[in-house]
Amino acid sequence: MLSALTKILVFPGFLFMSAYGLFLEYLDRKVYARLQHRSGPPWYQPLADFLKLLGKETIIPANANQRMFRILPVISLSAVATAFIYVPVLAKAPSASFEGDLIIVLYLLTIPTVSLFLAGWYSRSVYATIGSVRTLTQMFAYEVPLFMALLAPALIAQTWSVTGMAEFYSQNPLYHLLNIPAFFVALISGQGKLERAPFDLPEAETEIVAGPLVEYSGKLLAIFKMSAVCELVLIASLISAVFLPLMTGNPLLDFLLYLIKTMAVLLFLALLRSAMARLRMDQMIKFCWRILTPIAVVQIIINLVIRGVL
Amino acid sequence: MGLLKKAINWGIRKSPWILHFNAGACNGCDIETIAALTPRFDLERMGVIQQGSPRHADILVCTGAVTLQTKERLKQIYDQMPEPKFVMAVGTCACSGGIFDGCYCVMGGIDKVIPVDVYIPGCAVRPEALISAVQKLLDTLKRPKKRGEEDAG
Repeated sequence: MLSALTKILVFPGFLFMSAYGLFLEYLDRKVYARLQHRSGPPWYQPLADFLKLLGKETIIPANANQRMFRILPVISLSAVATAFIYVPVLAKAPSASFEGDLIIVLYLLTIPTVSLFLAGWYSRSVYATIGSVRTLTQMFAYEVPLFMALLAPALIAQTWSVTGMAEFYSQNPLYHLLNIPAFFVALISGQGKLERAPFDLPEAETEIVAGPLVEYSGKLLAIFKMSAVCELVLIASLISAVFLPLMTGNPLLDFLLYLIKTMAVLLFLALLRSAMARLRMDQMIKFCWRILTPIAVVQIIINLVIRGVL
Repeated sequence: MGLLKKAINWGIRKSPWILHFNAGACNGCDIETIAALTPRFDLERMGVIQQGSPRHADILVCTGAVTLQTKERLKQIYDQMPEPKFVMAVGTCACSGGIFDGCYCVMGGIDKVIPVDVYIPGCAVRPEALISAVQKLLDTLKRPKKRGEEDAG
């Protein structure tokens, strides 16, 4: 009981996830800065931002829905933390795992997006409402390719559990060469899920101030920001568990490998963010439905055929 | 509790998010303010990020003399910011009204409408002056008595 609680709350669980999330945010901003030829923020920057937001006054707009306004950041963070339980950090030892947890993780990943939408909706601000609608519209674009790309490798592995997939691909490493197109589809639609450039339409500062979070301040904003960085960790860990399976069996070595793999994924996401400008909504939907989804569909067909041949 | 307060105070010193507002400037100071945020000067070294929403900002960077038109908006934006908050008056016009002082539609400096913490003279201010002012403002927070706390109390 105690060890399970420790697993969920401290080590491969919540505390580790938040600390690593802050580190990944630093890495992201640093890489972004270096690519723009500047020196970037110091290592403690995300922590300082978080602490400052904790100390700021929390303002709730008079015509916002008080209860929803307060509860949504917590729902968002707890959904991400719950999903992280099923993702392997140490080899073969996620805090919990069962057949089909990939679906659970994917559905839990939707909750932060939906709570972001509701947060903007209940703020009763024009900018927040536009941001919310964009959040939801964007979800219809990236969600399908992301799900398909993550389910394609599951077809070959013949298991719907994240840990099972990681195990299968580390035993048969050649199979994951097949999934390379799906890997890139997952990375790009993951960028959309995280609402980072070029898919940062909901937060577009130059058009709609700050999107759904425009009315949030203080502690509530801190929790939302924390939930965003935790989502970054979750996406990076999920992609590295499914597509970059390299396991040794030694927990320490595997943990090191986990760090290297997630940082490599983040590096790609940071590169994508710094190389591209924001897309328009119709461009994004066209891109996701005309390019990413067909690639994912072809990947699924190929994987089905290979599975039949085997 | 003391430790948490210290940590939060450290966070406030290390992470100033700014909001830029043009109260009626000729655009000279605005260009220099934006220039200070570009990769050449790299204000993110000090944790400065420009925010779109007043709710997220800590420092209101105001340029230009306050006109009758912007007076209400400036007040509104100041009220929308959460405590602790600081105001910087950027440029001679923001400090005193400058050459626009006495004009029929001009109120005068920023401090005629909202309390100002830092005055940066110059026409237009240089980005270096702006960076130095941000640093000085954050250094004053190390002292035991803080303006933010006075206001809250």
